[in-house]
Amino acid sequence: MKKTVVSTNCLTKKYGDFYALKDVSIDIFEGDIYGLIGRNGAGKTTLMKIITTLTNKTSGEFSLFDSNDKDLTKVKRRIGSLIENAAFFPNMSAYENLKYYALQRGIVNLEQITEAIKLVGLEDAGKKKFKNFSLGMKQRLGVALAILDNPDFIILDEPINGLDPIGISELRDTFKNLNEEKGITILISSHILSELYQVATRFCIIDKGVVIKELTKEELDFDCSKCIVLKVDNTKKAATVIESKLKTTNYKVIDKKEIRLYDCLGESDKVNKILLKNDVDVLSINETGISLEDYFKNIIKEGK
Amino acid sequence: MLNLIKADFYRILRGKAIYICMLFILLAGFVSALTISPGHVGLSVSSSTSDIMNDPEFFEKLQKANSITALRDVMKSQGEFKLDKEILGQNVNLYYVFIVITVVTLCVDFSNRTVKNTLSSSISRKKYYLSKVITIFTLSTFILLFNNLSAYLINYFMNGIGYASSIKEIFKLTIIQMPLIYGIMSLLIAFAFVFGKTSVFNTIAIPFIMVVQLIGLGIINLFRIKADWFYNYEIQFALAKLANNPSSSFIIKCVCLGFVYIVLFNFIGYLVFKNKEIK
Repeated sequence: MKKTVVSTNCLTKKYGDFYALKDVSIDIFEGDIYGLIGRNGAGKTTLMKIITTLTNKTSGEFSLFDSNDKDLTKVKRRIGSLIENAAFFPNMSAYENLKYYALQRGIVNLEQITEAIKLVGLEDAGKKKFKNFSLGMKQRLGVALAILDNPDFIILDEPINGLDPIGISELRDTFKNLNEEKGITILISSHILSELYQVATRFCIIDKGVVIKELTKEELDFDCSKCIVLKVDNTKKAATVIESKLKTTNYKVIDKKEIRLYDCLGESDKVNKILLKNDVDVLSINETGISLEDYFKNIIKEGK
Repeated sequence: MLNLIKADFYRILRGKAIYICMLFILLAGFVSALTISPGHVGLSVSSSTSDIMNDPEFFEKLQKANSITALRDVMKSQGEFKLDKEILGQNVNLYYVFIVITVVTLCVDFSNRTVKNTLSSSISRKKYYLSKVITIFTLSTFILLFNNLSAYLINYFMNGIGYASSIKEIFKLTIIQMPLIYGIMSLLIAFAFVFGKTSVFNTIAIPFIMVVQLIGLGIINLFRIKADWFYNYEIQFALAKLANNPSSSFIIKCVCLGFVYIVLFNFIGYLVFKNKEIK
């Protein structure tokens, strides 16, 4: 069984009468790249700020590496984070800024600074001061700080903001490598599902402080993939016909009346005829498949 | 916590601010020694010079002096006095240097939002607060010693032994001023934790002492209050008095006042910071 890295239970944060987070209960397991998706102001940053203790929760509880939220000082050593935009001292270079934090965290091996800088592709920044960095360079330095102390868990709040497409792709590869090679668990947020889709293994859709849906990549693929949606009177009978006559098991029974068939695309007429021939009443049949963006929009609408 | 302090010193010593402060202190000491008069900001003047300033004949001479050398000659004509002690009596001037120390140590962390990098790691708010207090106290002790010693040495070499006290006296004065100085620092630390960003902090901290003096004296004059306590224990008057042969009971009261300030302002500062949302 996978170990839990973060577990929240009915986590709530209120500002006056406004709920920034409401009863959020999620689990992030070791090895996950957990994508937090939501529109601006959905509560992603608030959740991350509570986990990193930058803000206090109003109610509920959470644990980090099995330590409850009253005793996090020790386990926080295992976390690296980039919350909101990267923030550094403007008159210092990338190396100097990271050295400051290395000294602060008692990192003896200063080689780690060079390694982190190299890993995010900032080795050419040299003595350039942070204030002269492009937005993308600033974000990269933020990621470098997050991975500086070889953490087990990194929290990245919209890390690809301001990056060019090549930069996004490189950073995505970095995250995947950190996850696969070093076994680092990652919590990453974005308001663009298609961006997170390429890196995350589990997803949490959040809106107005409420978790709308938690799903794995496989489930997301399944929900979005092209298929024939069949509404029938008897799904059991329909399933038998599909297996025996259409010779496929690539289907899923959604509920008592709906079956999704992932084969025979473009052959709705043929499927309809075979089902009717075998005494299955077809109430409706249509081909569907939605983009990630449409899926996200639909989920948010349903959540409302 | 030692690591936090080490990191702050690494950053501060790489910057220019602390060196500019030292240069300013040397320049102020040099000008005071050259003109044989302690400069001051605010209402209080040192006791020796206030006596001679009240002499209309001398005041007229001062007004007629049209160069620094002429001013120096006028001051010299009044006879010798311990100029270094007078300069130390105006140590409230250091308040403005202490503002710089608080800004470079603490406010920049809030202004640049780098505080979140520290607090999201394994460093607790308590550790962070204490490390900042220790760093600021250490730097202000260094600045106080640097100011007092440089004032002593510059005056000694420029004006001779007649205007200088003993080094032992300078150290004694430095030590008895320390609790009040730490009290002022604690006030600035509390301001920094409450107001956060440098711009807001400066708006409040820079005029604070003058505003307190103006309001205090305004109330005293308006209601004709007998206010010896104000002329004794308002920070600028207190520091000036401490430099001019204070009684033991006055020293003890000032030390106690300093400790009360340290405890009170740090309590307020920490309480606010503990519950503050880090943006």
